[in-house]
Amino acid sequence: MTDVGTEAGQLPKTDAHASGDLVDRLGAKLDTMLDKLGEAKPFAKSTYQTDVFQTSELMLSSDNGIRALYERAHRFDDVGLFASGAWADAAKLQPPLVEGSLKAHGVYPIVEILSDLRMLAIASGKQNHPEVSAADATNFLQEVMALNLQFVFPGDTEQERIEGGPHYESSLRLFRLLSDELGLSFIREYVVAEIRQIIAQRPIMTGRVRTMIRMAARTPDSNGDDTISGRLSELTEAIDGPSTLCKQATTLAEYRKLLQQCEKSTLRDEAEQFATTVSKTGLVAPQHAILLRYLATKEPDIIPEALSLDDYGAAEFEGQIEFARQLVKAAIFPTTAQCILGFARVLERGLLSRQEVSVGLERLVDLDLQPDIRRSLLAQRSRHDGVTANSILLAGALSVLGQPLGVGQGRNPTCQAARGISLWSQYAPAYLIELVVSAARDGVVEIPFEGQTVRSDKAVVEMGRSLDLNLDPVSVVLVPHLDRIYEQMMKLVALRNEDGHKWVNPALYGRWVARGFSSVFADVALTTISGYEDFVRRFFATHHPSFNEGHSLMYPNPVGLCITNGHGDYLGPHAVSLQRVSEGPDGKLRIYFFNPNNEGRQDWGHDVKPSIADNGELEGESSLPFNQFVSRLYAFHYNPYEVGDAYAVPDAVVNEIQKEASDTWGRAFQWM
Amino acid sequence: MNHANKPPVGLLGFCIPAMEAMDSIGRPFVSVVPPEFEPYMQENGLEYVTWDFERVNEKSIQLADDLRAKGVELAIPLYEQTVEWAGALNGEFRNDRKLFTRYLLFRDKAMMKRRAQMYGIRVGVFEEADDRDAVRKFFKRVNTAAVKVDGDIEDPIHLKPLDAAGCKGHRMIRALADIDEIRDDEFPCLLETHLQGQEFSCEVFVHNGKVRFLNITEYVHLGHSNFVPASPALEERRPLIQKAVEELISAFEIQYGMIHPEFFITPDNVISFGEVAARVPGGHIFELIEKAYGFNPFVAFALAADPSTTDAEFEEFFPKIGEHKEFAGCLMVYPRKRVVTRVDVPERLLEDDYYEKHNLFVPANPKVAEREAFGDHYGTVYFRGDDCERMRDLLRDYEEVDFYDSDTPQQEQVTA
Repeated sequence: MTDVGTEAGQLPKTDAHASGDLVDRLGAKLDTMLDKLGEAKPFAKSTYQTDVFQTSELMLSSDNGIRALYERAHRFDDVGLFASGAWADAAKLQPPLVEGSLKAHGVYPIVEILSDLRMLAIASGKQNHPEVSAADATNFLQEVMALNLQFVFPGDTEQERIEGGPHYESSLRLFRLLSDELGLSFIREYVVAEIRQIIAQRPIMTGRVRTMIRMAARTPDSNGDDTISGRLSELTEAIDGPSTLCKQATTLAEYRKLLQQCEKSTLRDEAEQFATTVSKTGLVAPQHAILLRYLATKEPDIIPEALSLDDYGAAEFEGQIEFARQLVKAAIFPTTAQCILGFARVLERGLLSRQEVSVGLERLVDLDLQPDIRRSLLAQRSRHDGVTANSILLAGALSVLGQPLGVGQGRNPTCQAARGISLWSQYAPAYLIELVVSAARDGVVEIPFEGQTVRSDKAVVEMGRSLDLNLDPVSVVLVPHLDRIYEQMMKLVALRNEDGHKWVNPALYGRWVARGFSSVFADVALTTISGYEDFVRRFFATHHPSFNEGHSLMYPNPVGLCITNGHGDYLGPHAVSLQRVSEGPDGKLRIYFFNPNNEGRQDWGHDVKPSIADNGELEGESSLPFNQFVSRLYAFHYNPYEVGDAYAVPDAVVNEIQKEASDTWGRAFQWM
Repeated sequence: MNHANKPPVGLLGFCIPAMEAMDSIGRPFVSVVPPEFEPYMQENGLEYVTWDFERVNEKSIQLADDLRAKGVELAIPLYEQTVEWAGALNGEFRNDRKLFTRYLLFRDKAMMKRRAQMYGIRVGVFEEADDRDAVRKFFKRVNTAAVKVDGDIEDPIHLKPLDAAGCKGHRMIRALADIDEIRDDEFPCLLETHLQGQEFSCEVFVHNGKVRFLNITEYVHLGHSNFVPASPALEERRPLIQKAVEELISAFEIQYGMIHPEFFITPDNVISFGEVAARVPGGHIFELIEKAYGFNPFVAFALAADPSTTDAEFEEFFPKIGEHKEFAGCLMVYPRKRVVTRVDVPERLLEDDYYEKHNLFVPANPKVAEREAFGDHYGTVYFRGDDCERMRDLLRDYEEVDFYDSDTPQQEQVTA
């Protein structure tokens, strides 16, 4: 590199200022390329797009270069830079997808950045778009910024750099430009709202939300909104330590020392402060673990307060005090502190009094683990703090048993496995632990299927897809096995004439799944929809209290949804568990369900937006008005002996649902 | 020239630049594309017929009927696999049964050599081989004939699949040990001796058996870099080269279309024939021709392939030899590391006034594929300028640059 820094002194490569000469030259080339692209026939655009992408990539390597690109961004749509690709229609772009594109390899990050520059041109009024207003574009970019705080406020850690992909520096430049043009004042409010949405669901995995809180804390507080600042500092305290003594101690070791000098009343204060924060935020600070460990040794009677147990939980603690103290010692460490919330719920569910559960949990304490399982579990820690893999697994089991709806699939397409873990945690906790033991110790899981046994031993698991193991410990152990068992079962039924889930769901999940099955898909290839009206009526007759003769749901029902994006376009099938049907606070009937993909705010188009709070949801539940839910449903189980009056469902209701289905995901299929 | 009134051309293969070229002169066209391109053709409202070129059966005549129904009387092969289809179709359209058989010559490198040899064209010694033993025997015989004694460096031989495009599957065998690495699926293949001299290719537009335009492409390093037109040192031997080309045309009885032969020429002007293809050449040569001379070679191909094109039309279309605008060259870049996560383009390249553009992107899959042949390069750097010596120097210099780099250690990543 010869000319770097001629204008801005000897700057390092990262925030390079390329020589103005070079930027001008590349810019002139780009203009010619854009002209050529503009002249090309639509069918030939793709051959000219590459030239623009490549020259743009060169320009993205300097701050003045990206500015020069932005100056031309209003032309991009005109000349067809995005024609016939995923970025073609600015109105259909989705902020949550931006991050993945920026971090990808190949040409995608460049196209993504150029598309965002186009959006900025629309936002600033330099370009008029028939469907995207300046305000739409601004909202889009603001959401993109809020979802990508690691680029807006880079921590400059090696990890961020690696995770940022090959175009990390260019992405940083994009966000610097966006920050300059759009400002940053909106971010705190936006992110704090996002964080509150996520924690309202009480996920077991809180790593992402913790990162978001730290990122938001880095943002300047420019518009001085006290509510937002208050909420943000409450969140920051929740993860950094909310109690009086936490604020006095600078390290965890120091905090422990302070506790040892405390009187009982101070300990009570501490306990109460932690308990309040956890109840409010669902987030646990590492000091909370230190307090609990100390209390377990010295003052166990304060533990119910530290966990803010309800009466039932407190009574359970009294009855199982020895075992509970052992669990604290074996599972709860600063690293695993988040499991304290699950531990409290385990007590409130009375699970420790169930012998099969307590025996199972005891077994996890000294289980011999498979080496790869041990490695994966230990990889969950951020520092080498001496915690064993068994402790991590035990803590994970407490989390899952205490928060069955806090299980998530992470970044994997394994909604089936997550749904199973959640279901067993609710209705078969001992069986769940048995599966964990089998996978962690023996490296195999076996589930019977129609008289044969489907196994997932090491070789089978290794052939499976590679999973992102940023999951809760129980999922880390089980998901690779469950995913393979699910796949094998689906293979076994592949040649049957109906959707294989009819047989696989009851076999995989167990006797809690009813044998009746209804699907809109006439063929096993899932391409043709038939009998839709029957389907809707049957669902009403089995699930709607006005038509199903009062048979309310006994166990969660594994159902299939056709997920759509904000424009109602079909994205793919998705497995959720229907948890319950009941009236919301407004008296209207809603369906409450468990969605393992941990997405808080979703928009499935046509005003169908699953909510996660304020409509009577329990922690971890999502909900939709009954009819809206049905309009995205494609398969469900039911008890054939409990079918109500399908014929009584009003035609108007059925038609309305059918219209909604055929106008959205139904567009992707043939209707018979 | 009024192209709009001519019957549509059948373009064999999915090739955007070819369609664009026809579109630019207003010549109607029907593309014959593999089924996976159907959505693209529909979306863009382009005339097409779908066809699986890999499969030959009793229904193959159907393609001629389909094309005829759309008014097509002329087929142009764009890819190696479509060459014999062009022969069959044009034979059918022109009622010339031999045409197909002649086109088949282009698809079998051993047959091609034999034909050339039969017509007195100088070729290397060659042989077909079915197994490794045959290769060993050939290698030994060649080196015995070269009177090598122990300790001498042995003469290399070349191994090529019989029917693959250009340099695909090309191996050079320098020692007996190399022979063990040949895979079973590489047989049968063609073996030939190493030809001495400078290698170059010609892009020849032939009409009614006559050379209408002859471009010479100079190879700086086979499979890595070339430029158009050739340097004066090679161009001044054009009469000899044209003679060699004409001998080839008559040996293969080529009437219409374009051929892309490769030759070797020694300092004392001995020309040997390497091989010849009857389709669009690789190595970005068409792009280079367009830049250097200013005419669209796809249009030229269509004109040459069409018996109804008149002399006047050629006169108007082709520039005179020596009337090129500039030299156009390209460097084909291959990663050298096993894992690549970054593209490093030296700033001095970007600032060079001969530098035109490049298309090196960080590959979507960081793991570099085992290189099977030339032609599967990861990206290309394009140059243009007035001085062919400087062009050659640049191509040589930048061949030394490792454009694809990696941030990760060069070993298998262990996944937890």
